[in-house]
Amino acid sequence: MVAETQSFTAPRDRHLFARQLHLWLAAFLIFCAALSLQFGAADVRLSALLGKLVTGEPLSQMERIVLFDIRLPRLAMGGLVGAALAVSGATMQGLFRNPLADPGIVGVGAGAGLGAILAIVLGSMLPLGLTQLIGAQLVPVAAFLGGWGSTLLLYHVSTRGGRTSVATMLLAGIALGALAGAVSGILVYIADDQQLRDLTFWGLGSLAGASWGKILTAGPLIVISIAAALCLGRGLNGLALGEATAAHMGIAVQRMKSVAILSVAGATGAAVAISGGIGFVGIVVPHLLRLACGPDHRTLLVNAGLLGASLLILADVIARMVISPAELPIGIVTAVLGAPVFLWILLRRRGVVDL
Amino acid sequence: MTLEARSISVDYGKRRVLHGVTFMARPGAVTAIVGPNGSGKSTLLGAVSGDLPHEGTVSLGGRDVARMPIWQVAAQRAVLPQASRLAFDFTVLEVVRLGLQSGRSGDRADIPMRALARVGLAHYAARTFQELSGGEAQRVMLARVLAQVWEPVDQGEARWLLLDEPVSSLDIAHQLQVMQIARDFASAGGGVVAVMHDLNLTALFADEVTVLSEGEIIAAGTPGAVMTDAILSRAYGCALKVSTPPARNIPYILPHAAAS
Repeated sequence: MVAETQSFTAPRDRHLFARQLHLWLAAFLIFCAALSLQFGAADVRLSALLGKLVTGEPLSQMERIVLFDIRLPRLAMGGLVGAALAVSGATMQGLFRNPLADPGIVGVGAGAGLGAILAIVLGSMLPLGLTQLIGAQLVPVAAFLGGWGSTLLLYHVSTRGGRTSVATMLLAGIALGALAGAVSGILVYIADDQQLRDLTFWGLGSLAGASWGKILTAGPLIVISIAAALCLGRGLNGLALGEATAAHMGIAVQRMKSVAILSVAGATGAAVAISGGIGFVGIVVPHLLRLACGPDHRTLLVNAGLLGASLLILADVIARMVISPAELPIGIVTAVLGAPVFLWILLRRRGVVDL
Repeated sequence: MTLEARSISVDYGKRRVLHGVTFMARPGAVTAIVGPNGSGKSTLLGAVSGDLPHEGTVSLGGRDVARMPIWQVAAQRAVLPQASRLAFDFTVLEVVRLGLQSGRSGDRADIPMRALARVGLAHYAARTFQELSGGEAQRVMLARVLAQVWEPVDQGEARWLLLDEPVSSLDIAHQLQVMQIARDFASAGGGVVAVMHDLNLTALFADEVTVLSEGEIIAAGTPGAVMTDAILSRAYGCALKVSTPPARNIPYILPHAAAS
């Protein structure tokens, strides 16, 4: 064949663009971080603080507290949670080979929600010693245990003879979600007014409770989980062709599935535990990136982490600014901004989205 | 680097569909597996490629495949499935590049484009895989498989192509093209095992033919030895007439027109 002797030039490379996007998104993340430090309820501006740094003028007590105890932990938490949700979303979509999959599929959301409700409604019934020991961290700890536990349960149910069936996991997840919903319903029924209010706000998500303590507890788990997920790019690419073909291409499919599920449970579980229910980041961020530079998971996972962190930090700035000095739950902001984008994606791709 | 599958049995539920068959293929040859629907052709290939749980052992060059690391197996043999579904909007070139992931690194960046050119689809490189026709998609998948084992012989060891009905959705020109690619791979020292439906194409391109019927091998050998009226009529359960034109010693098969 003549074809063999000709030289062929490859078409424009999306992969190269996706790698350049790492830098642009990193710059965007820095920009969003600066915005987050600049604006807030207190009249403390990053620009003014930087000016003081240059002239060597010491920061006032109030400025120190606002910067180091309020805005910086909040910024760090927004970045961690956003990155965790977006990377977990991209991982789940790769694992389930479906662009509409969400970290919630592995039962994290339902389990964490149930854990949080249990803690809020029944927390006061705990023996006093235990309550004092865990203190204010009772809700996050219970949410994390609920999310992690339900994922492990689903994983166990859908694994037979060393092979995990993602289809079984999907179906069992629906059943488990319904069960968790029913138990939550009973607890909501017996909850008093203050507890109902706490529950509602927990469900809407917020970064308002950010503290270095929470970041030091949840941060390492989120960072390790994200790092594990970032190693899955090659395997998830192969999985796009199905499990059998991925194995033929030399990918250890079962090990990859285990790592993916555990990393999603870890990252999302910890994120939901410290920030409550924040929707749409896990679906919209990977989707936007796939539209921009293709589905290659080696770059998609990194870009999702950067864009997820940036957008959640930005959403938090908006949540703080629109009704300042009060603030909106951030879940409302991500839903208000995320849902129209999601609908727009669906309309654009009408007829192509194939379940 | 002989490929050997010894005493292979496969059960679907309680039904046994392969009854302890022993199958062998050598490098440098195209080995075709033929037989009627449900005779166990694809099941045999599935067991050989490791997709299906089975009894018996499969070995490459005397080494038990089940004991080899998965990446090493992938560097040694590539498998083309009957049909492929792809999630996400990968381009044609990106799909072929997936084949490169296994095996050793080095200066292999140009292999995907050359593999695409080999199946005559280099000009489709930038298209989205999802918009291809069935036949085009099958040829892109062949290019991906070729990219995985691009050199038929690697460090003195033959590599293998396992093809499950590689021409099933292709027109006649592309059937010939794909079979020629398999032929060339074998001529260069590699091994090819192909599940085939078309007996005439098999007679034209195969060096060895294994005939399966009801989960057992009823004949194996050269096309001339195996493709006889008696064996084929028995395997397929209908009257078939094999002729051999004297000019080229290649049999061709015609159905006995039952109506006439």
